[in-house]
Amino acid sequence: MVRSKGYPEALENKLIDRVLYDSDRSPEFTKVVEEISRTIPHMCYQCGTCTASCPSAPRSTYRIRKFVRRVVMGLENEALTDPDLWLCTTCYSCTDRCPRDIAPTDVIMAMRNLAFKRDIIPVNFLKTVQAIYTTGHGVPNNDVNRAARKKLGLEADPPTTHKFPQYIKGIQKILDYYKLKANADRIVKEREG
Amino acid sequence: MADTKKNKKESPAKKVVKVEGVPQSFSPKKEEEKKQARIGVLICHCGTNIAGSIDIKALEEYTKTLPNVAFVDNYQYVCSTPGQKKITDAIAQHNLTGTVVAACSPRLHEPTFRTATKEGGLNPFRFEMANIREQNSWVHMHDGEGATEKAKDAVRIAVAKASLLEDLIPKSVLVEKAAMVVGAGVAGMQAALDLANAGIKTYLIETLPTIGGRMSQLDKTFPTLDCSQCILTPKMVDVGRAPNIELMTYTEVDAVEGYIGNFDVTLRKKASGVLSMAQAEAMGISGGGCNGCGDCEPVCPVIKPNDFEMGMKPRKAIYISHPQVVPLLYTIDFDSCVKCGLCVTVCGDKKAIDLEMKDEFVKVKVGTVVLALGFELFPIEKKEEWGYKRFENVITSLEFERLICASGPTGGHLVRPSDGKTPKKVAFILCAGSRDNTGIGKPYCSRFCCMYSLKHAHQIIEKIPGVQPYIFYMDIRSFGKMYEEFYYRIQDEGTKFIRGRVSHILEDPATKNLMVHSDDTLLDQPFRLEADLVVLATAVQPSVDTDRTRKLFGVSCSMDGWLLEAHPKLNPCGTTTAGVFLAGVCQGPKDIPDTVASAEGAASAASIPIHMGEVELEPYFAQCIEEKCAGCGMCVNLCPYKALALIEKEGRTVMEVTEAKCKGCGTCGGFCPGGAIWMQHFATPQIIGQIDAFLLGGAQ
Repeated sequence: MVRSKGYPEALENKLIDRVLYDSDRSPEFTKVVEEISRTIPHMCYQCGTCTASCPSAPRSTYRIRKFVRRVVMGLENEALTDPDLWLCTTCYSCTDRCPRDIAPTDVIMAMRNLAFKRDIIPVNFLKTVQAIYTTGHGVPNNDVNRAARKKLGLEADPPTTHKFPQYIKGIQKILDYYKLKANADRIVKEREG
Repeated sequence: MADTKKNKKESPAKKVVKVEGVPQSFSPKKEEEKKQARIGVLICHCGTNIAGSIDIKALEEYTKTLPNVAFVDNYQYVCSTPGQKKITDAIAQHNLTGTVVAACSPRLHEPTFRTATKEGGLNPFRFEMANIREQNSWVHMHDGEGATEKAKDAVRIAVAKASLLEDLIPKSVLVEKAAMVVGAGVAGMQAALDLANAGIKTYLIETLPTIGGRMSQLDKTFPTLDCSQCILTPKMVDVGRAPNIELMTYTEVDAVEGYIGNFDVTLRKKASGVLSMAQAEAMGISGGGCNGCGDCEPVCPVIKPNDFEMGMKPRKAIYISHPQVVPLLYTIDFDSCVKCGLCVTVCGDKKAIDLEMKDEFVKVKVGTVVLALGFELFPIEKKEEWGYKRFENVITSLEFERLICASGPTGGHLVRPSDGKTPKKVAFILCAGSRDNTGIGKPYCSRFCCMYSLKHAHQIIEKIPGVQPYIFYMDIRSFGKMYEEFYYRIQDEGTKFIRGRVSHILEDPATKNLMVHSDDTLLDQPFRLEADLVVLATAVQPSVDTDRTRKLFGVSCSMDGWLLEAHPKLNPCGTTTAGVFLAGVCQGPKDIPDTVASAEGAASAASIPIHMGEVELEPYFAQCIEEKCAGCGMCVNLCPYKALALIEKEGRTVMEVTEAKCKGCGTCGGFCPGGAIWMQHFATPQIIGQIDAFLLGGAQ
């Protein structure tokens, strides 16, 4: 948390207090994340196996180890407002290799859920929700895919809601129950007008 | 001690009548039933350990209301000298028949309070302990009221038992003046030398053909960098020469019977196919037997990998592991020998080789035993991400030791297994399989990998110009004497330390170079290194035969397989089996200084019963009430310690207990259909008394 001393703005920015005060920590956050994720981030010994395994890390500023540390320290705002939270590809390499048997991927998923409760979510994730609502697919089939499938001797559309659109209703029922679509529509509208 | 025994005999209410054919242990009880029990109870605060949650005053007031209680008091620390004096004084002042202390676990202070009871003039086995700390105040720290109620139960039960306790006389057994050390690595050798130097005949058993163990495979030792063989071989020679040591290599423990003071151990001398000079002499082959000339080895047509060199050097079917073996005797590996007889021919008149040799069984009797069973490496190929056994240039630390050692397969030139080239960038990966909670790997710290990896980094800097060592670490644990200074030195020499665990290694199929993936956690940046060679500081685990051997001696192990000491702090060399001691890594990972210290501790502990000449056994023996015994013999087969037998007595068949073998487990007593077995100190009336006291709330 940044503490100002009332200097002129430029000086103020230079002299921002960058200390992490223990009082800034929210121990409750650690507990909530552990409850949702059903894993044990508090056992992390910061070896870095997760970041080293991560396919996102080499090409971004996403650092899974840092996110786990934020959970351990109870740094709720830093964790939930960091846009890097959404760069995990959920490949589960970190979970496979973690020597402390933590599931860092599930920790990230838990924090994404908490962030969404505060409307913190990139628009492309919401568009995925809308796509699932209308087609039953996060990445719906397209003409390029259809051609590729035919070439491989497959049907143009897979035996999912693409082939059986009558089941889309069921998916919509689930999404509506959790108000996922309504929330997605609302946030997209707020951001994009 | 003799004095107090005499006093006991003179005191009233002792062994007045000795009923014919009935063990004396319960005949006095019948006499004493007439006499009202008078129990003294002392309640310990243990500082705030107990008094912090249990209401001592309330407990004391309650205790006063219990039947048979003649005296109650409390004290800060009953185990202190004034605390013990309270027990001693109360026995005389209040004419007590038994004592109870409500305090910690009997594992900690039962002997203390028994001694105090004895000093007060009572038989020490008239003492009973109520555990109100480990099983109460510590676990119910936040529920004082509940804890106090539970403490009342515990004291009431203890008083009930103390009221029914009887005098018991410990049994003494003579101790065989010989010891056995199993395993002849540096721990076993040190323990054997110490025992032998203390004047004790010592059998040193080693399953391999040579002594020396893991330490003889090492090149140099941290932090002093002395050559491992140079400091070990003199000890090996001493062991070979010591007149008090009977060295038995290529030998395994096959069976163990008996108990402290009298272990009967059956040893299997595996067929080595080669006669020693002494053996040849005994067989009348004058001047014959193996003199280690080595003529047999070149003619042998069978080639096998040498385990001593981690399989990186060949050996023949008739072989010695390395030039400094003790004893200098060739061994035939009969699993691979084709019995062509070429070695027999070349051996000639020495007639040292016997291709028809069979395993031999030898029985020895010893008073005490030291287990020094050692360790092996965790099969690190199970951690697939590091590619051991998939990538040629990923090796273990023990393979590194052989490659850097002047007497090793490459004459001390560290080379890449793939192409024999000298590596210029070498990655050392710490905690390879250690500190791992995934189930594939070991949860513990292997304790010496940090230090030997620092040493490895130093060794390549010393030997290879322009080399760059990298140490991938999570923590550097350099806690021993001069260890941190050694860390400083290695860092100063130019080793790069990367604080990050290696997630995975990929091999370039063309160059066989290795791409090491890690996170530089201090920079918070993923780190990649193209290394020529990767050395895995592999976790250690108990050696393959540990589990079988420990079961023979009745020693427990912890979850990770290391042998369980009697107390991790106060009795690290002892085990729960009297007379069996632990030395070295088999108890848990140790570096060489700690291993030697542990071996000296074990040898000292193992020599005590032998020097005392006899040991006292706790008298918790089963006793046969012969007038009730029907001689059915069902108990004989149930006894896990082979302590029971049927005998003929006065025309009847009855059971007899060999007291020294009986551990008082109660299996026979619980089973006996006629109720003819009396478990001393845990007798049925005593246990019923405890149950009644618990369930009936004090009203008997």
